[in-house]
Amino acid sequence: MINTANGMISTSSSSANAQSPGLKTYFKTPEGRYKLHYEKTHPSGLLHYAHGKTVTQVTLAHLKDKPAPSTPTAPSSSFSASSGVRSAAARWLGSGNGSRALGFVGGNGGGKSVSSTSRMGSLGASSSSNSMTNTNFDGKGTYLIFNVGDTIFISDLNSQDKDPIKSIHFSNSNPVCHAFDQEAKDGHDLLIGLNSGDVYTVSLRQQLQDVGKKLVGAQHYNKDGSVNNSSRCTSITWVPGGDGAFVVAHADGNMYVYEKNKDGAGDSSFSVIKDQTQFSVAHARYSKSNPIARWHVCQGSINSIAFSFDGLYLATVGRDGYLRVFDYSKEQLVCGGKSYYGALLCCAWSMDGKYILTGGEDDLVQVWSMEDRKVVAWGEGHNSWVSGVAFDSYWSSPNSDGTGETVMYRFGSVGQDTQLLLWDLEMDEIVVPLRRGPPGGSPTYSTGSQSSHWDNVCPLGTLQAAPSIRDIPKISPLVAHRVHTEPLSGLIFTQESVLTVCREGHIKIWMRPGVADSQSSNSETVLSTSSKDKALLSSKVGSSSYKQ
Amino acid sequence: MGAAGSKLEKALGDQFPEGERYFGLENFGNTCYCNSVLQALYFCVPFREQLLEYYSSNKNVADAEENLLTCLADLFTQISSQKKKTGVIAPKRFVQRLKKQNELFRSYMHQDAHEFLNFLLNELVDILEKEAQAAKNDAETSSPPEKTANGPKNPQANGVQKEPLVTWVHKNFQGILTNETRCLRCETVTARDETFFDLSLDIEQNSSITSCLKNFSSTETLNAEDKFFCDKCCSLQEAQKRMKIKKPPHILVIHLKRFKYIEQLGRYKKLSYRVVFPLELKLSNTVEDADSEYSLFAVVVHVGSGPNHGHYVSLVKSHNHWLFFDDENVEMIDESAVQTFFGSAQEYSSNTDHGYILFYESLGANNKS
Repeated sequence: MINTANGMISTSSSSANAQSPGLKTYFKTPEGRYKLHYEKTHPSGLLHYAHGKTVTQVTLAHLKDKPAPSTPTAPSSSFSASSGVRSAAARWLGSGNGSRALGFVGGNGGGKSVSSTSRMGSLGASSSSNSMTNTNFDGKGTYLIFNVGDTIFISDLNSQDKDPIKSIHFSNSNPVCHAFDQEAKDGHDLLIGLNSGDVYTVSLRQQLQDVGKKLVGAQHYNKDGSVNNSSRCTSITWVPGGDGAFVVAHADGNMYVYEKNKDGAGDSSFSVIKDQTQFSVAHARYSKSNPIARWHVCQGSINSIAFSFDGLYLATVGRDGYLRVFDYSKEQLVCGGKSYYGALLCCAWSMDGKYILTGGEDDLVQVWSMEDRKVVAWGEGHNSWVSGVAFDSYWSSPNSDGTGETVMYRFGSVGQDTQLLLWDLEMDEIVVPLRRGPPGGSPTYSTGSQSSHWDNVCPLGTLQAAPSIRDIPKISPLVAHRVHTEPLSGLIFTQESVLTVCREGHIKIWMRPGVADSQSSNSETVLSTSSKDKALLSSKVGSSSYKQ
Repeated sequence: MGAAGSKLEKALGDQFPEGERYFGLENFGNTCYCNSVLQALYFCVPFREQLLEYYSSNKNVADAEENLLTCLADLFTQISSQKKKTGVIAPKRFVQRLKKQNELFRSYMHQDAHEFLNFLLNELVDILEKEAQAAKNDAETSSPPEKTANGPKNPQANGVQKEPLVTWVHKNFQGILTNETRCLRCETVTARDETFFDLSLDIEQNSSITSCLKNFSSTETLNAEDKFFCDKCCSLQEAQKRMKIKKPPHILVIHLKRFKYIEQLGRYKKLSYRVVFPLELKLSNTVEDADSEYSLFAVVVHVGSGPNHGHYVSLVKSHNHWLFFDDENVEMIDESAVQTFFGSAQEYSSNTDHGYILFYESLGANNKS
């Protein structure tokens, strides 16, 4: 097969995974079509040399009208889509699209011919961003916060604009992780962790109000690596219901607990880690110091951390391939286990706290049961490392009318194979394959094998070795869809959509079945910008600027 | 050079491993394909140790006649017996011998590192086999030392060769593939075994080694023009074929087929695909559920956008540190830097440093063969 772009030829073997086009703007599930609704990206002219070294992560932040005085609604943390989103969406979609034409010019990146115009588009966007900011900052809104290179970008989730409304540059190091506290009553709600190990807390609203390109009103922790010798931040999270406490995980296998209401870092020294191989928690020697505690979790990097929604448990995954689950307040290891092989890269809790998903370098999505304290299923379907996992907490099982005794979960995963996979997990269906026995052989009751103690729950506070391939039930994905041309780095479920993001900082928003339909033709226009008739359509939308 | 050496020593400080030597190799004009593979082999510790042992116990043989084996052993001995911990060595004798031996490598053209590795391993085996044969003819009384070491393992190579000699090169690198063909009419499975020193894998954009291995062992249907002659049915039948690993090697060498012949162009093209490789790996395409774990210890990297030019470097893990060997230069790198050699997700990328040959060592030494 000949792909004549620029005279280069790609072979048929590669065509299955060919570059750019061929990406569908929808995918089908049993409940209907998910449609590509919006894309969010960043001005491509801003790519820096260091760009390739950091991977884009995305955080969803919902700013309310006023600081809510009461009711920390069920799921704290970032994703509360709710009705606010819908009304905001309606507002943006309702307005004419004349003024938004510039947004299209940034185009889908890709071709060289576009780059000149996209720079132009980005200029337009940044000049228009001030006015946008002003109209938007103290209204309600749902924002996407994502890092690319040395910059944090903020986009309005519900506007059609591809380009961000705000960019914040970091001169010292690249931002690599961030988290937003939905329930923050006052003060700072946004956490940003840097490649240098530095940590900032800021108010998102304040950033949106400011017209500059620098972080404003920030509290700076671990300045110049004063706490931990500048080990890279890898993951950052607020403690649910933790009254402003947050946890930062680092590449050196340590986590630090900070309190935002305390003054910035005073003198915080911790005792020397006696045994690098052992889990240990050290508390700050002085009451004034911030961080207040150091958790030494493992050797090698901690790659991702996640709190259960009730804040009781903290899960970590890392380079050593282990998932570890801690009782956060008791500071104790509850359970955990090793991947099939290789590092684990991501983890996520189910809403009810019964299951944890992990994904990693063995290309598997693991389902960990908190009840059984072991892996209960392996999801096979990715052709490369699994970089993001999440339960769809808004999905309700078709047989959840109270009669069915089986509980079903829907979850998603994204990988470096550029695919989004959706999975259904029905616990009754998962049969322990050991009962069947392997063909022509006796079941292995070898020492250390999981199978020998399948019926016994593992003792509290122990880590399990890698399971044998025969002992874990396999599940297959419901849907596999190639969503980007670049390896993916994360996904988020909202009430209306699934959001996917690739390492290079392009975000796609896929509307759930039913949702996109009601939002009419306007979304169709957006969709078509990424397809082949892009030039045609976008010239229809904003011809003058496109022709430049 | 000396300065670079001391820089590495400084970087390692008192963590410099006891008795270990980190020496760059001089380039004699496009011999980086050779240097990069030699470094990977040098830091393949079981191979190095057995080579040095062989050399010291066969000194007299070595004096008698120079060959690629003695030249390699000589070079490794030279490196390991250096007084200084770091520096540069000229692998002159080895390269001269190589060029004498094989005209392919005689020119100053850019050569393929995988071809070289393959040639070298086969050459070493040939030499060892000849020596064993000679020793056997010399005196029937003393048996060749290597042959009986792994006694009960030998019969597995049925029909591959007559009385295959298992040398220490085999013990390190050789694995056995089995080619299973199932006749769709009578369901009879015909299995044919073949040995290998490395696995050459087809690659796809944005995939992993795990996935490439899976594809390697995926089932292929033989039909239409390409039917299978079933001995039981005595006729051409449709059949299903798949390759499985019957005996995983101790050192698993994986070659990524990055150089692909493109018919339309009439020439080879380099595939810059992003293929991720984990630092630990298990083989799932084995006949028995092996579950034995491999650990990555070396990567030969091809630098450049085309197949006929470019450069080779290698990444090597030694005593839990990763080192970067670029001919004369040796640097310490962070483990996370290995990721920068996966390849590019986009066709036109400025990054042209791509992992080309991967070396994994089995961790479960007693667990499996």
